[in-house]
Amino acid sequence: MKLEVRNIRKSFGEKEVLHGISFEVESGNALGLLGRNGAGKTTTMRILMDVFKSNNGEILLDGKPFEPAKQKIGYMPEERGLYPKRIVQEQMVYLAKLRGMSKAEAVKSSEKWLKKLEIEEYANRKLETLSKGNQQKVQLAATLVSEPDIIILDEPFSGLDPVNSQILKDVVNEMIQEGRLVIFSSHQMSYVEEFCENIVVINHGDVVLKGELKNIKKEYGKNRMILACDDFSNEETKKLISNKFSSFAKVTGENKEDVILELEPGKSKAEFMEALLKEKVNVAKFGNYEPSLNEIFVMNAGDEA
Amino acid sequence: MKKILLVLEFELKEYLENKMFVGTTLAIALLGALLLCLPTLFDLSGVLPVPSKGNNTVAEEETEETEEEPEIIYYVKDEQGILTETMITEALGEGTWKYITEENMEEAIKSEEIDAGFVIRSYDEMDYYVLNKGMMDMEKEMLESVLVTAGQMKYCEEHNLDFEEMNSIYNKEIVVNEEILGKDTESNFWYCYIFEMLVFMMIVLYGQMIATAVTAEKSNRSMEVLITSTTPASLLFGKVIAGAIASVMQVGVILISILGSYRLNRKAWGGILDMVLDIPGEVLLTFAFFGLGGFLFYAFLHGAMGALVSKTEDVSKAISGLMMVIMIVYFLSLVQLSNVDGIIIKVLSFLPFSSYSAMFARIAMGSVSMVEVVISGVILVASIIGAGWLSAVIYRMGTLRYGNPIKFTKILKEMKNDK
Repeated sequence: MKLEVRNIRKSFGEKEVLHGISFEVESGNALGLLGRNGAGKTTTMRILMDVFKSNNGEILLDGKPFEPAKQKIGYMPEERGLYPKRIVQEQMVYLAKLRGMSKAEAVKSSEKWLKKLEIEEYANRKLETLSKGNQQKVQLAATLVSEPDIIILDEPFSGLDPVNSQILKDVVNEMIQEGRLVIFSSHQMSYVEEFCENIVVINHGDVVLKGELKNIKKEYGKNRMILACDDFSNEETKKLISNKFSSFAKVTGENKEDVILELEPGKSKAEFMEALLKEKVNVAKFGNYEPSLNEIFVMNAGDEA
Repeated sequence: MKKILLVLEFELKEYLENKMFVGTTLAIALLGALLLCLPTLFDLSGVLPVPSKGNNTVAEEETEETEEEPEIIYYVKDEQGILTETMITEALGEGTWKYITEENMEEAIKSEEIDAGFVIRSYDEMDYYVLNKGMMDMEKEMLESVLVTAGQMKYCEEHNLDFEEMNSIYNKEIVVNEEILGKDTESNFWYCYIFEMLVFMMIVLYGQMIATAVTAEKSNRSMEVLITSTTPASLLFGKVIAGAIASVMQVGVILISILGSYRLNRKAWGGILDMVLDIPGEVLLTFAFFGLGGFLFYAFLHGAMGALVSKTEDVSKAISGLMMVIMIVYFLSLVQLSNVDGIIIKVLSFLPFSSYSAMFARIAMGSVSMVEVVISGVILVASIIGAGWLSAVIYRMGTLRYGNPIKFTKILKEMKNDK
């Protein structure tokens, strides 16, 4: 199953909020939709779910127009969407039946997901009586109760403690392993790095970066390396590079225990290393620099306050 | 259709599991039934104009005389002896009055020793004293009547005329055989009045509940999940029909309980509530069709208005325009109940906004042909479907717009642009 979003544009009144969003994702993969608040992630997801109609563009599933109503989709909106005053399992069964399951299947599936997410004891409780974290888990259970092929999760980790985050991570990983198509947005980059092979960064309604995360990291780490020296602080290492090795590399940043350098044009890592050893610098750490997704995100979406 | 039923089942369950809803319904039904049983259980003949207990015959039959001595509640001062004791007793009742000579009437009334007093000054003049005059007090009129009779008797005596003969000519009793071939407006008026109020209350109460339910779903974002699981039309139709069923169940239980209880206790009531509670089947049937139709029409519009706002506290503002229409229709219909064959009510009976009330009133009280009823019914049904469709579109467009309330005109403009 391959989902393609092509040149989606959306305006609210006079204001265009999406200026031509395009990306694609396949079954068994997870796509991370990243962006700052108000960038257009939720609007994109809502268009995908046919909650909003786009003004332009198309969405294709295996080359044919995508009709969410005809697919098994699980959608978890950012601000959650269940009835606070209704019984947990009752509303899960209701949603599953609305998505085409029989009552017996819906009951069985709701029991399965409540158990899997370790919230079966709350099955007969009203949603509003549960803690925020447990409500979040109920929301995920309600999203997955219809055993969807396409799962769209908007900020699924917000409000979860580390233990519950781990449970959710396990479930999402399982979904990916089972060959389901997962699209999710999150501000917590570590989760995106953990699940997603592909990312799309949206900024002010434009796609500013997209592709395979591995390649993006490689691209952003090209000609860059990390260096740490024995008995030298980061400040001393930076001074050393500026004073003695400026023809080989320049300092572009630092981590907690090392300095990030960028090779000068025409120089290789081997030449730089050779120069360091010649000067008897006690190298503790020397290697390729791989930027974190957080850094890549800030570089692409953090241009304006 | 299957999804409408699913939504309907889920929404209806919410009403039926609501302890307040069920409790209020049962409490009102039981209270109504119990109140109507009171004349059977207790002797209320002293409080209400009903036959005494143990003599459950209709009101016209005589009641048993009580053994208690009547209390003196009237003073009569008649120094010229214009009225005979028989005449005064005929007007004020046996043992309830006494002659006085001193002018102490006002003090006796102020101290509430007696209810009222009369000073007969001549055949043409009398004084009437009372502390607080009640709307139903008739003693003045009764005594005035016997004073007129006394004057007539005196005139006949002075002019050698036979009073009995004159009286029989002037007050000749006519036998009227009434046969109503059409409708008895007088007796049907009260049913209509009550049903008009009932439908109005249903529309206002349940309309508000439906609008609030839609806004609440928008507010707690459950709408966002629902709208991706089924169509907006299924959601709105399911929700509105569930509200209609709940309201019919609630009103039905209360009505059945009250009407049933009255039927069982009608003898004890002496039939005095027939004009309100002995409702013919065809009137109930008409009410069911037009009342429910009007309710559904407004319920859909309430659902759409609820989708225009994001906070439940803004619901009343959103439905204020609709409320205005409902109020105008209600008052116009009530005013026109006294003229059910007039042109205004005829026009109102074909408009979907008002036919639920106007056509119902015309059928119950006026002259209306079957063709007119069918046309009005078809317009109403078509309007319900139209309102349902329009509301589903508005609901779809308005339901996921958060923030400030959306203007109805803006939504209509966007609908036009979307085409």
